[in-house]
Amino acid sequence: MVQTASGRDEDTHFGFSTVSLGEKQGMVDEVFHKVARRYDLMNDLMSAGLHRAWKDALVSALRPPKQGPFDLLDVAGGTGDISFRVLEAASSQARATVCDINGDMLAVGRERAPAKIADRLTFVEGNAEDLPFPDKSFDAYTIAFGIRNVPRIDKALSEAKRVLKRGGHFLCLEFSHVDVPGFDRIYDFYSFNLVPPMGRLVTGDAQPYQYLVESIRQFPEPDRFAAMMRDAGFANVTHRPMTGGIVRLHSGWSI
Amino acid sequence: MTDQDNPRAEMHRLDPRLLEILVCPLTKGRLEYNRETQELVSSSARLAYPIRDGIPIMLPEEARRLD
Repeated sequence: MVQTASGRDEDTHFGFSTVSLGEKQGMVDEVFHKVARRYDLMNDLMSAGLHRAWKDALVSALRPPKQGPFDLLDVAGGTGDISFRVLEAASSQARATVCDINGDMLAVGRERAPAKIADRLTFVEGNAEDLPFPDKSFDAYTIAFGIRNVPRIDKALSEAKRVLKRGGHFLCLEFSHVDVPGFDRIYDFYSFNLVPPMGRLVTGDAQPYQYLVESIRQFPEPDRFAAMMRDAGFANVTHRPMTGGIVRLHSGWSI
Repeated sequence: MTDQDNPRAEMHRLDPRLLEILVCPLTKGRLEYNRETQELVSSSARLAYPIRDGIPIMLPEEARRLD
């Protein structure tokens, strides 16, 4: 067997700290365990309600069909935000599978599932890097504000490609890099000086939100992420900024 | 290793669709449902994935190793 040059685990980022790939997952789990119950309230506060508009934009881009069957896989979608929206917009034959590595987030989603769509929702605890689904089984794969928490992004992308049917749509919503002069400084100030204390006020702990703002800065630049999507086999890869680049919607197709 | 003695397991019915859509995350092989132990068994990986409160936990680190 050939060992890696360093003879140890590869490293990745946990916010601004460098941690081994093996350690990152446990640290991310801890963050979401702490905030699960107040996750959506914090999203509303921190984004001034904008996260709803961003998620609506993802659903519009997905264009869920009004007729016929449609199978969505929503990864890292524990609290159900994306899957509820898609099922409410789609035909009554549409189904959604919510896959999240965090049981606390899934429990929140299952509790909150609206009765009229609950029987078309399936909740599974699983890892984006090793999905427990067969090849070519979904019409769409969505991941909203989740992929930056995955230790091996390239592995998650190739799993996404594997489970999508031919013609399947990959959509990823993720924080990005503000590119509007002036606004970038306001955004930096807000992120580093206001978000962690706000997190402490609402969830009792600032550390998860310190991680949040740091992890956003560590996520690959949009063009770099687009290249990773192409490497994973996606075609017609595009991305577009929203709200001055705070968030970006990445799109690709399995063909 | 996980605690397999869950007296309330029977209260939660397994969504039949789960067996259709799930495979072993490691081998991508098929799974068998063990109603008694509330597990999804991957004979190809020699692992049994627990089902807790009706939610399958498809994580190898949470699975019971079969000898």
